[in-house]
Amino acid sequence: MAKKWNRRTVLKGMLGASAITVGLPILDCFLDANGTAFASGAPIPTRFGTWFWGCGINAARWFPEKVGSDFDIKDELRPIAPYKNKIDVFSGFNCILGGKPNLNHWSGIMATMTGACPLKGGMGSGTAEAPTLDCLVSDAIGSGSRFRSLEIACTGQAGVSYSMRAGSTVNASEVDPVSLYRRIYGSGFQDPNAAEFKPDPAIMLRQSVLSSVKDERARLMNSVGAVDRARVDQYFTSIREMEQQLGLMLQKPAPAQACVLPKEPAQVEEGPVWDVALKSHDVLGQLIVMALACNQTRVFNIALSTAASNLRKPGSAVSFHELTHEEPIDETLGYQPESTFFMEKSMSAFASMLSMLDAVKEGDGTLLDHSLVLATSESNYAKLHSIDSLPIMVAGTAGGRWKSGLHINGKGEPSSRVGLTIQQALGMPVGNWGIDAMATSKPITEVLRT
Amino acid sequence: MPIAQHGVHPRIAGAGLLTALLICSAAPGYGAPAGDEPVTAGGPATFRRLSEDQYRQSIADIFGTGIKIPGRFEPPLRDEGLLSIGDSLAVITPSGIEQYELRAREISAQVLAGVAKTTMIGCELGSPKTFDEPCARNYFAKYGRLLFRRPLGDDEVASVVNVARSATQQTGDFYKGLQFGLSRLLVSPNFLFRVETAEADPDSTASLRLDDFALATRLSFLLWDAPPDETLLDAAASGELRRKEGLNAQVDRLIDSPRFARGVRAFFSDMFAYDEFDGLTKDQSIFPKYTLQLSKDAEEQSLRTVVDLLVTNNGDYRDLLTTKKTFLNRTLGSLYKVPVHQAAFGGWMPYTFGSSDPHAGILTLAAFLMLDPTHEGRSSPTIRGKTVRELLLCQKIPPPPGNVDFKLVQDTHNLLYRTARDRLTAHRDNPACAGCHSITDPIGLAIENYDAIGQYRTQENDAVIDASGSFEHKPYKDVVALEKILHDSPATTNCVAKRLYEYGVGRPVVPAEKQWLEYLGEHFAADQYKFPALMRTVATSKAFRAISPDTLASN
Repeated sequence: MAKKWNRRTVLKGMLGASAITVGLPILDCFLDANGTAFASGAPIPTRFGTWFWGCGINAARWFPEKVGSDFDIKDELRPIAPYKNKIDVFSGFNCILGGKPNLNHWSGIMATMTGACPLKGGMGSGTAEAPTLDCLVSDAIGSGSRFRSLEIACTGQAGVSYSMRAGSTVNASEVDPVSLYRRIYGSGFQDPNAAEFKPDPAIMLRQSVLSSVKDERARLMNSVGAVDRARVDQYFTSIREMEQQLGLMLQKPAPAQACVLPKEPAQVEEGPVWDVALKSHDVLGQLIVMALACNQTRVFNIALSTAASNLRKPGSAVSFHELTHEEPIDETLGYQPESTFFMEKSMSAFASMLSMLDAVKEGDGTLLDHSLVLATSESNYAKLHSIDSLPIMVAGTAGGRWKSGLHINGKGEPSSRVGLTIQQALGMPVGNWGIDAMATSKPITEVLRT
Repeated sequence: MPIAQHGVHPRIAGAGLLTALLICSAAPGYGAPAGDEPVTAGGPATFRRLSEDQYRQSIADIFGTGIKIPGRFEPPLRDEGLLSIGDSLAVITPSGIEQYELRAREISAQVLAGVAKTTMIGCELGSPKTFDEPCARNYFAKYGRLLFRRPLGDDEVASVVNVARSATQQTGDFYKGLQFGLSRLLVSPNFLFRVETAEADPDSTASLRLDDFALATRLSFLLWDAPPDETLLDAAASGELRRKEGLNAQVDRLIDSPRFARGVRAFFSDMFAYDEFDGLTKDQSIFPKYTLQLSKDAEEQSLRTVVDLLVTNNGDYRDLLTTKKTFLNRTLGSLYKVPVHQAAFGGWMPYTFGSSDPHAGILTLAAFLMLDPTHEGRSSPTIRGKTVRELLLCQKIPPPPGNVDFKLVQDTHNLLYRTARDRLTAHRDNPACAGCHSITDPIGLAIENYDAIGQYRTQENDAVIDASGSFEHKPYKDVVALEKILHDSPATTNCVAKRLYEYGVGRPVVPAEKQWLEYLGEHFAADQYKFPALMRTVATSKAFRAISPDTLASN
């Protein structure tokens, strides 16, 4: 129950932590007696996100030894220790190639995200043989919000994204906070908590424009070859989604009391230098968090960097990716210290995202509690391009449908089991998922609350 | 199916002469005329998403250069070495549509704003508050034809007119109505994609051919990187492009136009992967001279050099690898250590490097030398060698294998391995790596006299750089000597011819086109490797228009 905190203690806590904008807590009077839904009856929505970092981990310094609850936290995972009870760590879940090539810095992430090993690509881009998990989830839960999903990348490169429909085109990332701000909170934004609602009549005309475009569908489908029909189809799917997005803007939005309109951020420097990328991450991330709290989207994707990570320290000649391959292993330490800097810092960045999500109070929990966030990388040990035991975490509890605080060992089973379990926890009627050696019908029952 | 099995070019067969195969295998020498064009079965008709540049150019050509184009474009997709092949695979995502819809509204609002709108619509209105159907119909037929690059069908005009009618009724403003109608055209897949339709080819049983408007579109994007103008659309409508003389006249007109230079720039920007300049950074604490402006100027310098040699002087493509002539501005003068006396800051001046200057050919220009997005603090001979092999010679380098131990590639502070050559030689001792690195590294090491932003150097970590090596069994002492070998290698000219054809048709060549490519190479040689001539050969060929029957819809 929402009794242990009040607006003052929350605000005080915020000021003690980093200076991030947070929503004020939802007042009890808006909630039902259980604190899980608004008094109007609308349940607090469940959100889904992915958080990607490149170039993996040092397994011995990252994976816990102890399986089950109360697992041990090793050095590289230390930044997420404050959220240990809100996170599951998965070890022993593999990318199983089944005869397909190991496309360096590509197969691992596509295996987890699509349940299928890709046939073409490498170095952080290529094909997806099936839609990525976030697309499947947004199809299921995203249609009620203005954006089906929002993507951000933190190194200034819009093409860095691991969200794809099957094919070669990524759902491009926003990289500039000002553009992202204007996209979400600009002219199309309707404050869910505004007392007055007056739909803009121009929206209906914009809808009629998109609706009219569909007149071209039949003729176009007939004039392109079989392979291109799928691309025509994707175009018209995008048109339909845009129409629905506009349709939502004609309805009075449901109240979202955790929603506080953020201020337009200042222009930030972009690029792969660590400090710059982290700043981008936090500024873009906070805009995403508020977009979730304001019901503008229910699905998000964050890429800290590309898979063959170009992050680097200022003044350093070599990037994280180059370091993983070229830096000698320090014999005393037993790992590559420079590369490890980025692995540890990546976990700090993830912890920063968790803190932003957890700072937004909703009902008797937080935005994080009402979410599932899949965090993963494309490699286990990037130095060798190894894709066994991919580092995977899931944060949040999906509004109580997911059990957190566990370390689960998959013992070499496909990493698609995590994606299957996520879909089932989100209520999607999916019994099996994945292709060929990555196909699975076994959810990870330990984390599912029935 | 190999072309030889198709047998004989119909016209040649009709005349009872030699088969196309025999003529082409005769391999005429330099300067000798090539034989008749071999028959090809063509490839699939493509469905290409307009690139950002093509979108911008379309708007500028059709509505004027003053129109502001807002929003983010979806990232381009490179496939088989070219963005223009990637365009044939790219889709438009929901967030992409969001941006296109925004652009459509803002562009139509600008087009139909102010006093210009009254002249723009080309008709006298009774009242600007009521819907004038004939006026709207004319307006959309005119601009629809330019945007769709073909005339609109009656049903298509009606669909747009309906949008404009209801918008006029709702807003009480005819111009607003037209704005919504124009938005409707600007978000249409027939504008955002190049839709290619084919028809039966009376001259061939092996293939279909593009219809006249699809051919006009292929021609103008090949030669101008822009949509067809009114004249070219008129030529398509009148059937002129079906006659050899008519086609030649239009191709010559396009090549003679000032817009042709833009088309050549667009091709080389794609072939040389200059899209990677977008977001390129180098560490400024290591390279204090590197700025965003420097990288833009380096790109511009290279493209000016290309256009000056290939278009302005109608020069030999191979000379791009050896030319001493280039252009400099003040920013670049500092990089090349050449004083640039130009009154206007940022102005360009033609410049010829001296005979002893270590700069000659595009491999020694800053654009090539700095264009490596994966290395921000140093040069990578491996990436440079890979770039030369893949982009200039059309040779594919396999990706590195998994599970490679990189221990041998040591840090730059190791006294045993002070130069990149030392480090990479150690690396190549590993048999798992040697296969590919022996292909890439020698070329890259020849270029080590230039650092990661293109500054000339003779030493790395106080050790003298050894830039020697051999290519195709010919020894060289440095990159300038290597460029001379590349200049004379058939791989160089075959590559640009293949890439240009693929760029034009928007797909990789198919095995059945091998003989056609040989024909193209022979023509290129006979034309003394003049690039506009190569473009003319491609543009006027039957292969450029041929569409394979099996890949089209059954309608």
